[in-house]
Amino acid sequence: MPLLEKFFVKIFRAVVSGDLCYAQPRPMNRIRKLLVANRGEIAFRIIRSARAMGIATVAVYSDADAGAPWLAAADDARRIGAPEAAASYLNADAILAAARASGADAIHPGYGFLSEHPEFARAVTDSGLTFVGPPSAAMAALGDKLAARRLALGSGVPVVPGTDAADPASARAFAAQAGFPILVKAAAGGGGRGMRVIESERELDAALEAAAREAKATFGDGRLFLERYLARPRHVEVQVLGDQSGKLVTLGERDCSIQRRHQKIIEESPAPGLDDAMRARMAEAALSLFRAAGYVNAGTAEFLIEGENFYFLEANTRLQVEHPVTEMRFGCDLVAEQLKIAAGEAVADAPAPVGHAIECRIYAEDAERRFRPAAGRVSYLNLPAGPGVRIDTHLAPGLEISTWYDGMLAKLVGWGADREQARERLLGALAEFSLLGVGHTAAFLRDVIAGDAFRDAALSTRFLDEFFNRWRPAERDLEAALIGCLLAADSHSNADRAAPSRVPAASRSPWERLPRFEPWSGR
Amino acid sequence: MKLRRPGDKRQYEVELISRDGPKLRARIDGREIETQAEPLADGSTVLALGGRRIRVLASRRRESILVAVGPAAFEFVAIEGRGARSAHGLVTPEVSAPMPGKVLKVMVRAGERVEAGQPLLVMEAMKMETTLYADGAAIVKRVAVGPGDAVDHGAVLIELSPVSSPPVPASGPQDS
Repeated sequence: MPLLEKFFVKIFRAVVSGDLCYAQPRPMNRIRKLLVANRGEIAFRIIRSARAMGIATVAVYSDADAGAPWLAAADDARRIGAPEAAASYLNADAILAAARASGADAIHPGYGFLSEHPEFARAVTDSGLTFVGPPSAAMAALGDKLAARRLALGSGVPVVPGTDAADPASARAFAAQAGFPILVKAAAGGGGRGMRVIESERELDAALEAAAREAKATFGDGRLFLERYLARPRHVEVQVLGDQSGKLVTLGERDCSIQRRHQKIIEESPAPGLDDAMRARMAEAALSLFRAAGYVNAGTAEFLIEGENFYFLEANTRLQVEHPVTEMRFGCDLVAEQLKIAAGEAVADAPAPVGHAIECRIYAEDAERRFRPAAGRVSYLNLPAGPGVRIDTHLAPGLEISTWYDGMLAKLVGWGADREQARERLLGALAEFSLLGVGHTAAFLRDVIAGDAFRDAALSTRFLDEFFNRWRPAERDLEAALIGCLLAADSHSNADRAAPSRVPAASRSPWERLPRFEPWSGR
Repeated sequence: MKLRRPGDKRQYEVELISRDGPKLRARIDGREIETQAEPLADGSTVLALGGRRIRVLASRRRESILVAVGPAAFEFVAIEGRGARSAHGLVTPEVSAPMPGKVLKVMVRAGERVEAGQPLLVMEAMKMETTLYADGAAIVKRVAVGPGDAVDHGAVLIELSPVSSPPVPASGPQDS
């Protein structure tokens, strides 16, 4: 039976070569070793997902991050340059060289840094590596805020009224028509950088100049555009996932209204009180926009809601900082999804969401003084745990928090069957969080999340101005802190007597043996 | 011991009255407080205060005492109690860097007169610009830095000679 023989030979060859896989199309670019072109908590986060999928990982670091804890989690770590981001985490050549040297076959950019640079995405694929993110063209179409506005208008998605002529004369003309305040934004911007509210004509020239300078310094692109400033909008965004076959799905929305300096600090999913009709319309708008851009991988469409209307704000062509609230609610791993999509796998239909998740971001900042950056070395750390609690952080004892990079220290997430349970769990987690050595915003976040305004979901981007404009630490905490000062002074003058005598010296925590616990001896 | 928090005018007078095992008596701004202070193995202390138990930890960094009270982080500086600086509370004849960072722009020159609220200098840290303003009317005595200089936390940037007396209390730097 030569025919049957031929058939068996064919099957045998197919099995051996791995072609016989009818259930799933064979991954086109199986990822074996992933370079993570980022730092901090997100580097940790990505390494963890890759590891769980059996993918080897390569971390990169600047001189400021040599010895950082996430480097130990990776299989390989490569130095890429000096502390300045431009010399290291924004240095595409150094990152590509590290990928070649380490034998990585894919690069995950995380968020920030090079994650939304289409030239970088192109350089990665041109080097024969897989970029874990959208194609360069889709990123350019959506990532540039001006281009994205045009694409949205062309796809029938409503946008905030504005203009892309941002010279002082055009800005005056636009303000005369739209009325102050107006908002100036960087075309290449993100995370609130290069963005300013212009309250009056008097501030206009200085604000345009400062925004252009900040945009040029941060993004290497000083182009600006202007928008009408919505008075009390909510910020709600839709999570999108798309595969290489063109299938796109949404994974619910996130309300990210609570912001300082136009940067989110508390995010939750679902958006409280959002009616299902509007939710569906927003998801549809996000899908048409991303479809028009030919989008693949994870992305987010951000909207502002005012009254019955929603307006497309911008698209983020990357993983968002606040993605954990979506993961907690949908029980998924968005980084794993990104890696599967990048390898050519099909995106699955969105699972049914369960419960409610709230995230808050703890920053190295002084909440009493307009969130001014703080720096220092972590000398004591207590991280929370418990049912429904998740913490994404790179904090570790001894870690130096410098002002070289973004000051986010940790993301704390509470999940619950409903919003109230999620809120209570997050409050419990915040109460357990303790960090000495660098100023941070945990107590401020606790007071915000414990407050009536947040409990009642009185959400708008003006939330902090309206309810927490002049936040001060609680008097009872201040009193405890003053007693802490006395204890520190007392334990120094009576170093032996004050040490916990019930614990034998050898079994004491290493903390007690460190010089920083002789508080009056200096550094 | 007299303490204050940087950027805050309020002063605190604290005194340890007695400490007998975990029992601690202290005076804060004239008010006597009794508490239980239980040291934990990790170097922190659990204080029983006003019906709650809270974990407290303090350590010194340069001129500051850093204290963590659960999730709350505090910084204090001890006031020496002598000299003109402490007599006027916060007012200092110099503008120092509120955080480590880079000087972007200096708007004043030595010999120039500045008024309260006038921008003096722009710093950048974590890619955010921070403008430092004059606390009160003064003559610029010396400009210690130039654009592009990297400065450490607390570095003197500009020296001033106040022209009004008593000087206006410091308002601290503000984000631009």
